[in-house]
Amino acid sequence: MGEVIVVTSGKGGVGKTTTSANIGTGLAAAGHKVVLVDTDIGLRNLDVVMGLENRIVYDLVDVTSGNCRLKQALIKDKRFANLFLLPAAQTKDKTAVNPEQMQVLAAELKAEFDYAIIDCPAGIEQGFRNAIAGADRAIVVCTPEVSAVRDADRIIGLLEAAELRNPKLIINRIRPEMVKRGDMMDIADILDILAVELIGVVPEDESIVISTNRGEPAVMDKTSKAGEAYRRITKRIIGEEVPLMNLDVPIGIMDRLKRLVGLR
Amino acid sequence: MTRTEHVALKGTRDGLVLYFDPAADFGVLMKELDKLLNNSVQFLQGASVRCYSGKKQFTEDEHARLGTVLHQRQLELTGWLTPEEVGVSAKSQAYGTQDKETRIWEEGMEEGSCLFVERTLRSGKSVQFDGHVVVLGDVNPGAEIIATGNIAVMGSLRGVAHAGATGERKASVSAYHLAPTQLRIADVVTRGPADEADGRGPEIARIKDDQLIVETAGMNGRRGKAR
Repeated sequence: MGEVIVVTSGKGGVGKTTTSANIGTGLAAAGHKVVLVDTDIGLRNLDVVMGLENRIVYDLVDVTSGNCRLKQALIKDKRFANLFLLPAAQTKDKTAVNPEQMQVLAAELKAEFDYAIIDCPAGIEQGFRNAIAGADRAIVVCTPEVSAVRDADRIIGLLEAAELRNPKLIINRIRPEMVKRGDMMDIADILDILAVELIGVVPEDESIVISTNRGEPAVMDKTSKAGEAYRRITKRIIGEEVPLMNLDVPIGIMDRLKRLVGLR
Repeated sequence: MTRTEHVALKGTRDGLVLYFDPAADFGVLMKELDKLLNNSVQFLQGASVRCYSGKKQFTEDEHARLGTVLHQRQLELTGWLTPEEVGVSAKSQAYGTQDKETRIWEEGMEEGSCLFVERTLRSGKSVQFDGHVVVLGDVNPGAEIIATGNIAVMGSLRGVAHAGATGERKASVSAYHLAPTQLRIADVVTRGPADEADGRGPEIARIKDDQLIVETAGMNGRRGKAR
């Protein structure tokens, strides 16, 4: 019996899709049978990030409305034979699916896969309610900005109201050097408000942009810092205990000089 | 409880109750009612109220006027309470030996019904209560509490709090860490502190001379000083 994990955030642009793609790929690389489900109907992205857009024939709405069988809509990944994608429909909208249908789908996926990762759309309306309907666990993605933290807080409240307790938090796109200067919220500030368990911190990384555009998740890139962070998150999802990534930035020579003369 | 000389508005477990002084002139009552509702209209909108004026009977005409005044404030008059109904409220039963009438009139800022919220209020959550509110947790930015009585938060208050929402200026807002987005007591509104200094310890906000004053909550013990 598998597990359905929803990746959500409330606010848009914080990295839900990137996170879903990387966690899914990471879990598949670790040998698990994984399916990625894009529930952002009308604004589908996960297929592009996975580099699979040209293989879509059927989509999520086709499955829930009975136009095709689940097996027909699942797209096999390029890299891993045990990784699949169930893409969203692009020509319909969120009302094309309802939470009951998603629960049925989730049960079907659980029987077939070890992990089903559900990429949730931004917002708290029907798309969100669809995405969380069949989930067993939730991962909340948040960036170190007040607006993102506020939305994450709201989402955690809604998840708890929907009986999805103890969601896990990923802090994405953190910039250690800005935190150090006091220009960015640090991890403690965010946890102080959200009061949930932290499952990973992903540093801002240019290689994410490149890998996303190429359709190759960064988790496979051994040189990428963000990739390393996602590998650790994957391990924590499986249940291994790994320390958080060391995000300390080396202190530059100017800083040392300033410190010597007592400027900071 | 909010009151003028001859009119009082009180929240009970079964809804709002308007008390009229049976001895007062109807014209005076209406004037005072108007004043009273002016102060609290935002909080009360859409609520239903019942009225009580002892054994005094209002004439049909007076009845209609009262209904109109309440209707203008978007309040609905749902009925009248008899002296018996008021007499046997749970509250007065608990204090059976005391004069029942006075007991009800005294319920206000120091005692009265209270809501315990045993969790953190996250963004988007709104708690409205007729009485005091105690939160065993935090109140996060984007959450709000509106109470006709006092508000006490055991954790951090970072959202919006409105105490004495029906115009009770004696109400207070207290928190272990008081850093609200906005603080309102009765009709006084202030913004939160711009700089969030940590570790000030428990504080309490109340109205003094028409201004909202925040001071250290009266803890003189070791704990109070340590923070």
